[in-house]
Amino acid sequence: MNRARAPILKLGETLIVSVQEALMDADLVGLRDELVAEVKMYRATCVIIDVTVLDVLDSFAARTLRHIAQMTQLLGARTVIVGIQPDVAFAMVQLGLTLQGTETALDLEDALSLLNLKLGRNRRVQ
Amino acid sequence: MADHETLLPESPIPGEEVRRRKEFLEFTDDDVAVLEGVNEVAIRYADSMIDDFYRHLMSFDETRAFFADPALLKHVKEMQKNYFMRLTQGNYDQVYVAERIKIGQIHERIGLPLKSYFGMYCYYLRAVLGRLQEEYKETPEQAFSVFNSLMKLTFFDMELAIDTYVESRERTIKGQEEAIRELSTPVLLLRPGLLLLPIIGLIDTLRARQLTEQLLRSVRSNRARVVVIDVTGVPSVDTKVANHLVQTVEAARLMGAVSIISGIAPDIAQTMVRLGIDLRRIRTVGDLQSGIEEAERQLGYTVVKNDVAESEDGK
Amino acid sequence: MSSELNVPIRSEADLVTARLRGREMASTLHFSSSELTLIATAISEVTRNILSYAGSGELDLRLVRQGQKLGVSIIARDRGPGIPDLFSAMQDGYSTSGGLGLGLPGSKRLMDEFDVASEVGKGTTVTMTKWKM
Repeated sequence: MNRARAPILKLGETLIVSVQEALMDADLVGLRDELVAEVKMYRATCVIIDVTVLDVLDSFAARTLRHIAQMTQLLGARTVIVGIQPDVAFAMVQLGLTLQGTETALDLEDALSLLNLKLGRNRRVQ
Repeated sequence: MADHETLLPESPIPGEEVRRRKEFLEFTDDDVAVLEGVNEVAIRYADSMIDDFYRHLMSFDETRAFFADPALLKHVKEMQKNYFMRLTQGNYDQVYVAERIKIGQIHERIGLPLKSYFGMYCYYLRAVLGRLQEEYKETPEQAFSVFNSLMKLTFFDMELAIDTYVESRERTIKGQEEAIRELSTPVLLLRPGLLLLPIIGLIDTLRARQLTEQLLRSVRSNRARVVVIDVTGVPSVDTKVANHLVQTVEAARLMGAVSIISGIAPDIAQTMVRLGIDLRRIRTVGDLQSGIEEAERQLGYTVVKNDVAESEDGK
Repeated sequence: MSSELNVPIRSEADLVTARLRGREMASTLHFSSSELTLIATAISEVTRNILSYAGSGELDLRLVRQGQKLGVSIIARDRGPGIPDLFSAMQDGYSTSGGLGLGLPGSKRLMDEFDVASEVGKGTTVTMTKWKM
Protein backbone atom coordinates (compact mmCIF):
# COMPACT_ATOMS: atom_id res chain seq x y z
CA MET A 1 0.00 0.00 0.00
CA ASN A 2 1.16 3.48 -0.73
CA ARG A 3 2.00 4.82 2.69
CA ALA A 4 1.75 8.41 1.50
CA ARG A 5 -1.99 8.00 1.05
CA ALA A 6 -2.56 7.26 4.74
CA PRO A 7 0.50 7.90 6.86
CA ILE A 8 0.42 6.55 10.40
CA LEU A 9 1.71 8.94 13.04
CA LYS A 10 2.69 7.90 16.51
CA LEU A 11 1.87 10.15 19.47
CA GLY A 12 2.94 8.30 22.61
CA GLU A 13 0.69 5.29 22.82
CA THR A 14 -1.69 6.68 20.26
CA LEU A 15 -1.58 5.99 16.56
CA ILE A 16 -3.11 8.57 14.26
CA VAL A 17 -3.98 7.55 10.73
CA SER A 18 -4.40 10.52 8.46
CA VAL A 19 -6.11 9.59 5.19
CA GLN A 20 -4.70 11.90 2.54
CA GLU A 21 -6.83 11.15 -0.46
CA ALA A 22 -9.43 8.78 -1.84
CA LEU A 23 -8.30 5.31 -0.90
CA MET A 24 -8.69 2.48 -3.28
CA ASP A 25 -9.73 -0.94 -2.10
CA ALA A 26 -6.20 -2.32 -2.04
CA ASP A 27 -5.01 0.68 -0.05
CA LEU A 28 -7.68 0.18 2.58
CA VAL A 29 -6.81 -3.48 3.00
CA GLY A 30 -3.13 -2.59 3.15
CA LEU A 31 -3.88 0.06 5.73
CA ARG A 32 -5.67 -2.45 7.88
CA ASP A 33 -2.73 -4.82 7.84
CA GLU A 34 -0.21 -2.09 8.50
CA LEU A 35 -2.21 -0.60 11.34
CA VAL A 36 -2.65 -3.97 13.00
CA ALA A 37 1.08 -4.54 12.79
CA GLU A 38 1.87 -1.15 14.32
CA VAL A 39 -0.69 -1.52 17.11
CA LYS A 40 1.03 -4.74 18.07
CA MET A 41 4.52 -3.36 17.66
CA TYR A 42 4.00 -0.21 19.71
CA ARG A 43 1.37 -1.66 22.05
CA ALA A 44 -0.82 1.26 21.14
CA THR A 45 -3.75 1.95 23.43
CA CYS A 46 -5.54 4.36 21.14
CA VAL A 47 -6.07 4.61 17.40
CA ILE A 48 -7.56 7.62 15.63
CA ILE A 49 -8.53 7.35 11.98
CA ASP A 50 -9.01 10.72 10.34
CA VAL A 51 -11.13 10.67 7.17
CA THR A 52 -11.67 14.44 6.85
CA VAL A 53 -10.37 14.44 3.30
CA LEU A 54 -12.73 11.78 1.96
CA ASP A 55 -15.61 13.22 -0.04
CA VAL A 56 -17.32 9.86 -0.40
CA LEU A 57 -17.55 6.94 1.99
CA ASP A 58 -19.35 4.12 0.23
CA SER A 59 -20.39 0.73 1.60
CA PHE A 60 -17.04 -0.87 0.92
CA ALA A 61 -15.10 1.91 2.61
CA ALA A 62 -17.45 1.93 5.58
CA ARG A 63 -17.24 -1.82 5.96
CA THR A 64 -13.46 -1.76 5.84
CA LEU A 65 -13.26 1.08 8.36
CA ARG A 66 -15.43 -0.92 10.73
CA HIS A 67 -13.26 -3.98 10.25
CA ILE A 68 -10.16 -1.96 10.96
CA ALA A 69 -11.75 -0.55 14.10
CA GLN A 70 -12.87 -3.97 15.24
CA MET A 71 -9.44 -5.45 14.74
CA THR A 72 -7.57 -2.70 16.54
CA GLN A 73 -10.10 -2.89 19.34
CA LEU A 74 -9.54 -6.62 19.61
CA LEU A 75 -5.88 -5.83 20.02
CA GLY A 76 -6.76 -3.67 22.99
CA ALA A 77 -6.63 -0.23 21.37
CA ARG A 78 -9.56 2.12 21.76
CA THR A 79 -10.40 3.29 18.26
CA VAL A 80 -12.09 6.50 17.14
CA ILE A 81 -13.03 7.53 13.62
CA VAL A 82 -13.03 11.27 13.04
CA GLY A 83 -13.61 13.80 10.31
CA ILE A 84 -16.71 12.48 8.61
CA GLN A 85 -18.10 15.53 6.81
CA PRO A 86 -21.80 16.54 6.97
CA ASP A 87 -22.55 15.56 3.36
CA VAL A 88 -20.72 12.27 3.73
CA ALA A 89 -22.52 11.46 7.00
CA PHE A 90 -25.83 12.17 5.33
CA ALA A 91 -25.08 9.94 2.35
CA MET A 92 -23.85 7.18 4.63
CA VAL A 93 -27.04 6.98 6.68
CA GLN A 94 -29.08 6.95 3.47
CA LEU A 95 -27.15 3.81 2.58
CA GLY A 96 -27.65 2.42 6.06
CA LEU A 97 -23.97 2.74 6.95
CA THR A 98 -24.00 3.82 10.57
CA LEU A 99 -20.66 2.43 11.78
CA GLN A 100 -22.59 1.08 14.73
CA GLY A 101 -20.26 -0.10 17.46
CA THR A 102 -17.43 2.18 16.41
CA GLU A 103 -16.62 5.37 18.28
CA THR A 104 -16.67 8.63 16.40
CA ALA A 105 -15.67 12.22 17.08
CA LEU A 106 -15.84 15.45 15.12
CA ASP A 107 -12.11 15.83 14.52
CA LEU A 108 -8.66 15.08 15.82
CA GLU A 109 -8.89 17.62 18.63
CA ASP A 110 -12.15 16.19 19.91
CA ALA A 111 -10.84 12.64 19.61
CA LEU A 112 -7.82 13.51 21.68
CA SER A 113 -9.92 15.09 24.41
CA LEU A 114 -12.31 12.15 24.22
CA LEU A 115 -9.39 9.82 24.81
CA ASN A 116 -8.29 12.12 27.62
CA LEU A 117 -5.09 12.99 25.89
CA LYS A 118 -4.26 16.66 26.17
CA LEU A 119 -1.34 17.98 24.19
CA GLY A 120 0.03 19.50 27.37
CA ARG A 121 -0.10 23.18 26.52
CA ASN A 122 -2.77 24.58 28.78
CA ARG A 123 -1.94 22.86 32.02
CA ARG A 124 -3.25 24.87 34.87
CA VAL A 125 -0.70 25.61 37.60
CA GLN A 126 -2.36 24.53 40.84
CA MET B 1 -36.45 6.87 -19.52
CA ALA B 2 -37.40 7.46 -23.16
CA ASP B 3 -38.81 10.88 -22.27
CA HIS B 4 -35.49 12.15 -21.10
CA GLU B 5 -33.99 14.29 -23.77
CA THR B 6 -30.27 14.91 -23.66
CA LEU B 7 -29.76 18.53 -22.87
CA LEU B 8 -28.75 20.96 -25.62
CA PRO B 9 -27.64 24.43 -24.62
CA GLU B 10 -30.04 26.34 -26.91
CA SER B 11 -33.21 24.44 -26.15
CA PRO B 12 -35.14 26.05 -23.32
CA ILE B 13 -38.14 24.18 -24.72
CA PRO B 14 -37.26 20.76 -26.10
CA GLY B 15 -37.61 20.13 -29.83
CA GLU B 16 -40.22 17.46 -29.22
CA GLU B 17 -42.47 19.90 -27.34
CA VAL B 18 -42.09 22.52 -30.11
CA ARG B 19 -43.13 19.95 -32.69
CA ARG B 20 -46.16 19.00 -30.61
CA ARG B 21 -47.26 22.62 -30.29
CA LYS B 22 -46.92 23.31 -34.01
CA GLU B 23 -48.88 20.15 -34.73
CA PHE B 24 -51.69 21.20 -32.41
CA LEU B 25 -51.79 24.63 -34.05
CA GLU B 26 -51.69 22.89 -37.44
CA PHE B 27 -48.73 25.08 -38.35
CA THR B 28 -47.16 23.33 -41.32
CA ASP B 29 -44.50 23.92 -43.96
CA ASP B 30 -47.25 25.40 -46.15
CA ASP B 31 -47.78 28.10 -43.55
CA VAL B 32 -44.05 28.74 -43.50
CA ALA B 33 -44.09 29.19 -47.27
CA VAL B 34 -47.09 31.53 -47.13
CA LEU B 35 -45.40 33.71 -44.53
CA GLU B 36 -42.11 33.82 -46.39
CA GLY B 37 -44.12 34.82 -49.43
CA VAL B 38 -45.30 38.07 -47.83
CA ASN B 39 -41.94 39.14 -46.51
CA GLU B 40 -41.66 41.89 -49.11
CA VAL B 41 -45.07 43.26 -48.17
CA ALA B 42 -44.09 43.16 -44.51
CA ILE B 43 -40.92 45.16 -45.18
CA ARG B 44 -43.00 47.82 -46.90
CA TYR B 45 -45.45 48.14 -44.03
CA ALA B 46 -43.01 47.70 -41.15
CA ASP B 47 -42.40 51.33 -40.20
CA SER B 48 -46.00 52.54 -40.37
CA MET B 49 -47.13 49.43 -38.49
CA ILE B 50 -44.70 50.03 -35.67
CA ASP B 51 -45.58 53.72 -35.45
CA ASP B 52 -49.29 52.94 -35.21
CA PHE B 53 -48.60 50.24 -32.68
CA TYR B 54 -46.72 52.51 -30.34
CA ARG B 55 -49.16 55.34 -30.79
CA HIS B 56 -51.76 52.92 -29.45
CA LEU B 57 -49.56 51.87 -26.52
CA MET B 58 -48.69 55.45 -25.61
CA SER B 59 -52.35 56.47 -25.50
CA PHE B 60 -52.96 54.29 -22.46
CA ASP B 61 -51.51 55.13 -19.03
CA GLU B 62 -50.73 51.54 -18.13
CA THR B 63 -48.59 50.80 -21.14
CA ARG B 64 -47.22 54.33 -21.58
CA ALA B 65 -45.56 54.02 -18.19
CA PHE B 66 -43.24 51.36 -19.52
CA PHE B 67 -41.92 53.49 -22.33
CA ALA B 68 -41.54 56.85 -20.60
CA ASP B 69 -37.85 57.06 -21.38
CA PRO B 70 -37.38 58.27 -25.01
CA ALA B 71 -34.12 56.35 -25.45
CA LEU B 72 -35.85 53.17 -24.26
CA LEU B 73 -38.80 53.84 -26.56
CA LYS B 74 -36.51 54.21 -29.54
CA HIS B 75 -34.71 51.00 -28.67
CA VAL B 76 -37.91 49.09 -28.09
CA LYS B 77 -39.41 50.30 -31.38
CA GLU B 78 -36.30 49.04 -33.16
CA MET B 79 -36.61 45.65 -31.45
CA GLN B 80 -40.32 45.52 -32.21
CA LYS B 81 -39.65 46.21 -35.89
CA ASN B 82 -37.19 43.32 -35.94
CA TYR B 83 -39.76 41.14 -34.21
CA PHE B 84 -42.35 42.08 -36.80
CA MET B 85 -39.98 41.39 -39.69
CA ARG B 86 -38.91 38.07 -38.18
CA LEU B 87 -42.47 36.77 -38.46
CA THR B 88 -42.18 36.54 -42.23
CA GLN B 89 -38.60 35.38 -42.56
CA GLY B 90 -39.30 31.67 -42.22
CA ASN B 91 -37.10 29.19 -40.40
CA TYR B 92 -39.13 28.97 -37.18
CA ASP B 93 -36.68 26.60 -35.49
CA GLN B 94 -35.13 26.17 -32.02
CA VAL B 95 -33.16 29.37 -32.50
CA TYR B 96 -36.42 31.20 -33.23
CA VAL B 97 -37.90 29.69 -30.08
CA ALA B 98 -34.92 30.79 -28.01
CA GLU B 99 -35.16 34.35 -29.36
CA ARG B 100 -38.88 34.59 -28.63
CA ILE B 101 -38.35 33.32 -25.13
CA LYS B 102 -35.68 35.91 -24.54
CA ILE B 103 -38.09 38.64 -25.58
CA GLY B 104 -40.74 37.20 -23.28
CA GLN B 105 -38.26 37.20 -20.43
CA ILE B 106 -37.44 40.85 -20.99
CA HIS B 107 -41.11 41.81 -20.92
CA GLU B 108 -41.65 39.75 -17.81
CA ARG B 109 -38.64 41.26 -16.11
CA ILE B 110 -39.77 44.84 -16.70
CA GLY B 111 -43.11 43.86 -15.21
CA LEU B 112 -45.31 44.17 -18.25
CA PRO B 113 -48.62 42.53 -17.26
CA LEU B 114 -49.79 39.56 -19.31
CA LYS B 115 -53.05 41.33 -20.13
CA SER B 116 -51.09 44.16 -21.76
CA TYR B 117 -48.95 41.65 -23.55
CA PHE B 118 -52.04 39.96 -25.05
CA GLY B 119 -53.72 43.27 -25.73
CA MET B 120 -50.67 44.21 -27.76
CA TYR B 121 -50.80 40.99 -29.76
CA CYS B 122 -54.44 41.60 -30.50
CA TYR B 123 -53.91 45.16 -31.72
CA TYR B 124 -51.02 43.92 -33.76
CA LEU B 125 -52.98 41.17 -35.53
CA ARG B 126 -55.81 43.58 -36.33
CA ALA B 127 -53.39 46.15 -37.71
CA VAL B 128 -51.86 43.49 -39.94
CA LEU B 129 -55.30 42.36 -41.06
CA GLY B 130 -56.09 45.92 -42.13
CA ARG B 131 -52.87 46.14 -44.15
CA LEU B 132 -53.51 42.74 -45.76
CA GLN B 133 -57.03 43.73 -46.79
CA GLU B 134 -55.55 46.79 -48.50
CA GLU B 135 -52.74 44.91 -50.18
CA TYR B 136 -54.90 42.05 -51.46
CA LYS B 137 -58.03 44.07 -52.32
CA GLU B 138 -58.41 42.18 -55.60
CA THR B 139 -57.68 38.72 -54.14
CA PRO B 140 -59.17 38.56 -50.63
CA GLU B 141 -58.55 34.79 -50.35
CA GLN B 142 -54.88 35.57 -50.30
CA ALA B 143 -55.37 37.97 -47.41
CA PHE B 144 -57.25 35.24 -45.53
CA SER B 145 -54.53 32.71 -46.24
CA VAL B 146 -51.76 34.97 -45.01
CA PHE B 147 -53.73 36.01 -41.95
CA ASN B 148 -54.52 32.37 -41.19
CA SER B 149 -50.84 31.42 -41.20
CA LEU B 150 -49.82 34.53 -39.31
CA MET B 151 -52.40 33.86 -36.62
CA LYS B 152 -51.02 30.38 -36.04
CA LEU B 153 -47.50 31.74 -35.71
CA THR B 154 -48.61 34.56 -33.44
CA PHE B 155 -50.38 32.12 -31.14
CA PHE B 156 -47.25 29.99 -31.12
CA ASP B 157 -45.36 33.10 -29.99
CA MET B 158 -47.96 33.84 -27.32
CA GLU B 159 -47.59 30.33 -25.91
CA LEU B 160 -43.87 30.94 -25.56
CA ALA B 161 -44.58 34.27 -23.86
CA ILE B 162 -46.86 32.57 -21.33
CA ASP B 163 -44.11 30.01 -20.69
CA THR B 164 -41.70 32.72 -19.62
CA TYR B 165 -44.20 34.35 -17.29
CA VAL B 166 -45.18 31.05 -15.70
CA GLU B 167 -41.58 29.97 -15.34
CA SER B 168 -40.72 33.23 -13.63
CA ARG B 169 -43.66 32.92 -11.23
CA GLU B 170 -42.61 29.40 -10.34
CA ARG B 171 -39.07 30.53 -9.63
CA THR B 172 -40.37 33.25 -7.33
CA ILE B 173 -42.60 30.83 -5.48
CA LYS B 174 -39.76 28.38 -5.07
CA GLY B 175 -37.54 31.10 -3.71
CA GLN B 176 -40.18 32.07 -1.18
CA GLU B 177 -40.75 28.48 -0.15
CA GLU B 178 -37.02 28.14 0.37
CA ALA B 179 -36.93 31.28 2.52
CA ILE B 180 -39.85 30.10 4.61
CA ARG B 181 -38.20 26.76 5.16
CA GLU B 182 -34.98 28.35 6.33
CA LEU B 183 -36.80 30.74 8.64
CA SER B 184 -38.81 28.00 10.24
CA THR B 185 -35.92 25.79 11.27
CA PRO B 186 -33.24 27.66 13.13
CA VAL B 187 -30.57 25.60 14.80
CA LEU B 188 -29.76 27.27 18.12
CA LEU B 189 -26.55 27.13 20.08
CA LEU B 190 -27.62 26.93 23.72
CA ARG B 191 -24.23 26.44 25.26
CA PRO B 192 -20.80 25.69 23.88
CA GLY B 193 -21.22 22.26 22.37
CA LEU B 194 -25.00 22.12 22.80
CA LEU B 195 -27.31 22.59 19.86
CA LEU B 196 -31.06 22.80 19.96
CA LEU B 197 -33.17 22.05 16.90
CA PRO B 198 -36.83 22.84 17.61
CA ILE B 199 -39.05 21.41 14.89
CA ILE B 200 -42.46 22.94 14.45
CA GLY B 201 -45.18 21.78 12.12
CA LEU B 202 -45.40 18.89 9.74
CA ILE B 203 -42.26 17.53 8.15
CA ASP B 204 -42.12 16.19 4.63
CA THR B 205 -39.17 14.45 3.06
CA LEU B 206 -37.70 17.59 1.56
CA ARG B 207 -37.95 19.56 4.80
CA ALA B 208 -36.53 16.65 6.78
CA ARG B 209 -33.55 16.51 4.47
CA GLN B 210 -32.93 20.22 4.83
CA LEU B 211 -33.24 20.04 8.59
CA THR B 212 -30.69 17.26 8.70
CA GLU B 213 -28.29 19.11 6.43
CA GLN B 214 -28.59 22.28 8.48
CA LEU B 215 -28.09 20.40 11.70
CA LEU B 216 -25.03 18.52 10.49
CA ARG B 217 -23.37 21.69 9.23
CA SER B 218 -24.16 23.30 12.55
CA VAL B 219 -22.59 20.40 14.40
CA ARG B 220 -19.41 21.00 12.45
CA SER B 221 -19.28 24.77 12.73
CA ASN B 222 -20.24 24.85 16.41
CA ARG B 223 -18.29 21.74 17.36
CA ALA B 224 -21.42 20.42 18.98
CA ARG B 225 -21.20 17.26 21.04
CA VAL B 226 -24.84 17.11 22.06
CA VAL B 227 -27.90 17.89 20.01
CA VAL B 228 -31.41 18.22 21.37
CA ILE B 229 -34.05 17.70 18.70
CA ASP B 230 -37.34 18.90 20.05
CA VAL B 231 -40.46 17.59 18.38
CA THR B 232 -43.01 19.07 20.78
CA GLY B 233 -44.37 21.13 17.92
CA VAL B 234 -44.73 18.22 15.52
CA PRO B 235 -48.36 17.11 15.47
CA SER B 236 -47.86 13.70 13.94
CA VAL B 237 -45.13 11.37 12.88
CA ASP B 238 -45.41 8.71 10.20
CA THR B 239 -42.94 6.02 9.17
CA LYS B 240 -41.06 8.31 6.83
CA VAL B 241 -40.65 11.06 9.39
CA ALA B 242 -39.68 8.63 12.12
CA ASN B 243 -37.04 7.20 9.81
CA HIS B 244 -35.78 10.68 9.01
CA LEU B 245 -35.39 11.38 12.71
CA VAL B 246 -33.46 8.18 13.23
CA GLN B 247 -31.25 8.94 10.23
CA THR B 248 -30.57 12.41 11.55
CA VAL B 249 -29.54 10.99 14.90
CA GLU B 250 -27.28 8.44 13.23
CA ALA B 251 -25.69 11.01 10.93
CA ALA B 252 -24.98 13.32 13.87
CA ARG B 253 -23.36 10.43 15.67
CA LEU B 254 -21.03 9.84 12.73
CA MET B 255 -19.84 13.37 13.43
CA GLY B 256 -19.30 12.64 17.07
CA ALA B 257 -22.48 14.22 18.40
CA VAL B 258 -25.00 12.55 20.66
CA SER B 259 -28.66 13.32 20.03
CA ILE B 260 -31.54 13.54 22.41
CA ILE B 261 -35.05 13.69 21.02
CA SER B 262 -37.37 15.55 23.32
CA GLY B 263 -41.06 16.27 23.29
CA ILE B 264 -42.27 12.98 21.95
CA ALA B 265 -45.98 12.87 22.68
CA PRO B 266 -47.37 9.57 23.96
CA ASP B 267 -49.16 8.78 20.73
CA ILE B 268 -46.06 9.51 18.66
CA ALA B 269 -44.13 7.21 20.95
CA GLN B 270 -46.75 4.55 20.32
CA THR B 271 -46.50 5.04 16.57
CA MET B 272 -42.76 4.68 16.69
CA VAL B 273 -42.92 1.52 18.74
CA ARG B 274 -45.53 0.09 16.38
CA LEU B 275 -43.36 0.98 13.42
CA GLY B 276 -40.66 -1.14 14.94
CA ILE B 277 -38.22 1.72 15.41
CA ASP B 278 -35.53 0.42 17.66
CA LEU B 279 -35.73 3.01 20.39
CA ARG B 280 -32.42 1.82 21.74
CA ARG B 281 -30.85 3.54 18.77
CA ILE B 282 -32.04 6.91 19.92
CA ARG B 283 -32.21 8.64 23.26
CA THR B 284 -35.61 10.14 23.97
CA VAL B 285 -37.09 12.19 26.78
CA GLY B 286 -40.60 13.46 27.40
CA ASP B 287 -40.18 17.21 27.26
CA LEU B 288 -37.80 19.92 26.16
CA GLN B 289 -36.70 20.84 29.65
CA SER B 290 -35.64 17.30 30.43
CA GLY B 291 -33.90 17.17 27.10
CA ILE B 292 -31.83 20.25 27.82
CA GLU B 293 -31.02 19.12 31.35
CA GLU B 294 -29.90 15.76 30.06
CA ALA B 295 -27.76 17.45 27.42
CA GLU B 296 -26.15 19.74 29.95
CA ARG B 297 -25.42 16.78 32.20
CA GLN B 298 -23.72 15.01 29.34
CA LEU B 299 -21.57 18.05 28.69
CA GLY B 300 -20.60 18.19 32.35
CA TYR B 301 -22.67 21.13 33.42
CA THR B 302 -24.44 21.30 36.72
CA VAL B 303 -27.12 23.96 36.97
CA VAL B 304 -27.46 25.38 40.48
CA LYS B 305 -30.21 27.72 41.52
CA ASN B 306 -29.23 30.89 43.39
CA ASP B 307 -31.38 30.27 46.52
CA VAL B 308 -28.70 31.34 48.95
CA ALA B 309 -28.13 34.78 47.40
CA GLU B 310 -31.90 35.51 47.24
CA SER B 311 -32.61 34.77 50.87
CA GLU B 312 -29.75 37.00 51.94
CA ASP B 313 -31.02 39.96 49.91
CA GLY B 314 -34.65 39.53 50.77
CA LYS B 315 -33.88 39.57 54.44
CA MET C 1 -18.50 20.93 -20.27
CA SER C 2 -20.21 18.46 -22.57
CA SER C 3 -23.58 17.01 -21.72
CA GLU C 4 -22.52 13.41 -22.25
CA LEU C 5 -19.51 11.48 -21.06
CA ASN C 6 -18.46 7.86 -21.20
CA VAL C 7 -16.18 6.48 -18.50
CA PRO C 8 -14.77 3.00 -19.08
CA ILE C 9 -14.50 1.01 -15.87
CA ARG C 10 -11.55 -1.32 -15.82
CA SER C 11 -9.82 -0.62 -12.55
CA GLU C 12 -10.25 1.07 -9.22
CA ALA C 13 -8.61 4.20 -10.54
CA ASP C 14 -11.58 4.44 -12.89
CA LEU C 15 -13.90 4.35 -9.89
CA VAL C 16 -12.29 7.49 -8.53
CA THR C 17 -12.45 9.06 -12.01
CA ALA C 18 -16.11 8.16 -12.35
CA ARG C 19 -16.94 9.85 -9.04
CA LEU C 20 -15.03 12.93 -10.00
CA ARG C 21 -16.55 13.27 -13.47
CA GLY C 22 -20.02 12.61 -12.12
CA ARG C 23 -19.55 15.32 -9.52
CA GLU C 24 -18.20 17.76 -12.10
CA MET C 25 -21.02 17.17 -14.53
CA ALA C 26 -23.72 17.39 -11.87
CA SER C 27 -22.24 20.59 -10.48
CA THR C 28 -22.93 22.37 -13.79
CA LEU C 29 -26.61 22.02 -12.90
CA HIS C 30 -25.97 23.68 -9.56
CA PHE C 31 -26.90 20.75 -7.38
CA SER C 32 -26.24 21.41 -3.70
CA SER C 33 -23.03 20.11 -2.17
CA SER C 34 -25.05 17.48 -0.33
CA GLU C 35 -26.73 16.28 -3.53
CA LEU C 36 -23.36 16.09 -5.28
CA THR C 37 -22.12 13.78 -2.56
CA LEU C 38 -25.21 11.61 -2.90
CA ILE C 39 -24.60 11.33 -6.63
CA ALA C 40 -20.89 10.58 -6.20
CA THR C 41 -21.70 7.95 -3.58
CA ALA C 42 -24.29 6.27 -5.80
CA ILE C 43 -21.74 6.23 -8.62
CA SER C 44 -19.23 4.69 -6.27
CA GLU C 45 -21.64 1.94 -5.27
CA VAL C 46 -22.66 0.86 -8.77
CA THR C 47 -19.13 1.15 -10.11
CA ARG C 48 -17.83 -1.02 -7.33
CA ASN C 49 -20.43 -3.62 -8.26
CA ILE C 50 -19.14 -3.59 -11.80
CA LEU C 51 -15.58 -4.14 -10.63
CA SER C 52 -16.50 -6.76 -8.08
CA TYR C 53 -18.90 -8.85 -10.10
CA ALA C 54 -18.10 -8.22 -13.74
CA GLY C 55 -14.51 -7.10 -13.66
CA SER C 56 -15.11 -4.33 -16.15
CA GLY C 57 -17.83 -2.26 -17.68
CA GLU C 58 -18.64 1.36 -18.45
CA LEU C 59 -20.49 4.36 -17.17
CA ASP C 60 -22.50 6.78 -19.28
CA LEU C 61 -22.93 10.14 -17.62
CA ARG C 62 -25.56 12.41 -19.12
CA LEU C 63 -27.27 15.69 -18.47
CA VAL C 64 -30.96 15.23 -19.16
CA ARG C 65 -34.19 17.15 -19.21
CA GLN C 66 -37.84 16.26 -18.70
CA GLY C 67 -40.12 19.18 -19.34
CA GLN C 68 -38.73 21.95 -17.20
CA LYS C 69 -36.72 19.64 -14.94
CA LEU C 70 -32.99 19.27 -15.40
CA GLY C 71 -31.03 16.35 -14.07
CA VAL C 72 -28.10 14.00 -14.35
CA SER C 73 -28.40 10.40 -15.47
CA ILE C 74 -25.93 7.62 -14.88
CA ILE C 75 -26.05 4.38 -16.82
CA ALA C 76 -23.77 1.66 -15.46
CA ARG C 77 -23.31 -1.23 -17.87
CA ASP C 78 -21.44 -4.47 -17.62
CA ARG C 79 -21.32 -7.85 -19.34
CA GLY C 80 -20.92 -9.72 -16.10
CA PRO C 81 -22.78 -12.72 -14.70
CA GLY C 82 -26.03 -10.83 -14.20
CA ILE C 83 -28.26 -10.87 -11.13
CA PRO C 84 -30.22 -14.12 -10.74
CA ASP C 85 -32.76 -12.91 -8.19
CA LEU C 86 -33.32 -9.27 -9.00
CA PHE C 87 -36.37 -9.02 -6.77
CA SER C 88 -34.45 -10.06 -3.66
CA ALA C 89 -31.51 -7.92 -4.61
CA MET C 90 -33.80 -4.90 -4.58
CA GLN C 91 -35.25 -5.68 -1.17
CA ASP C 92 -34.22 -3.46 1.65
CA GLY C 93 -31.90 -5.76 3.52
CA TYR C 94 -31.07 -2.57 5.32
CA SER C 95 -28.31 -3.67 7.58
CA THR C 96 -26.45 -1.62 10.11
CA SER C 97 -23.42 -3.79 9.55
CA GLY C 98 -22.51 -1.70 6.56
CA GLY C 99 -24.57 -2.49 3.49
CA LEU C 100 -24.10 -6.06 2.38
CA GLY C 101 -24.55 -7.52 -1.05
CA LEU C 102 -25.04 -5.31 -4.04
CA GLY C 103 -26.20 -2.28 -2.15
CA LEU C 104 -28.87 -1.65 -4.75
CA PRO C 105 -31.66 -0.56 -2.39
CA GLY C 106 -29.22 1.87 -0.81
CA SER C 107 -28.20 3.42 -4.10
CA LYS C 108 -31.88 3.69 -4.98
CA ARG C 109 -32.43 5.78 -1.87
CA LEU C 110 -29.68 8.15 -2.93
CA MET C 111 -31.20 8.90 -6.32
CA ASP C 112 -34.62 9.95 -7.59
CA GLU C 113 -35.06 7.35 -10.32
CA PHE C 114 -33.50 3.92 -10.32
CA ASP C 115 -33.85 1.01 -12.68
CA VAL C 116 -32.02 -2.28 -13.01
CA ALA C 117 -32.10 -4.56 -16.03
CA SER C 118 -30.19 -7.80 -15.74
CA GLU C 119 -29.91 -11.10 -17.52
CA VAL C 120 -28.00 -14.05 -16.15
CA GLY C 121 -25.01 -14.71 -18.34
CA LYS C 122 -25.50 -11.48 -20.30
CA GLY C 123 -24.90 -8.64 -17.91
CA THR C 124 -26.45 -5.83 -15.95
CA THR C 125 -27.47 -2.26 -16.66
CA VAL C 126 -28.30 0.14 -13.86
CA THR C 127 -29.89 3.44 -14.84
CA MET C 128 -30.27 6.14 -12.23
CA THR C 129 -31.25 9.79 -12.38
CA LYS C 130 -31.25 12.71 -9.98
CA TRP C 131 -33.29 15.80 -10.73
CA LYS C 132 -32.44 19.33 -9.77
CA MET C 133 -35.44 20.53 -7.85
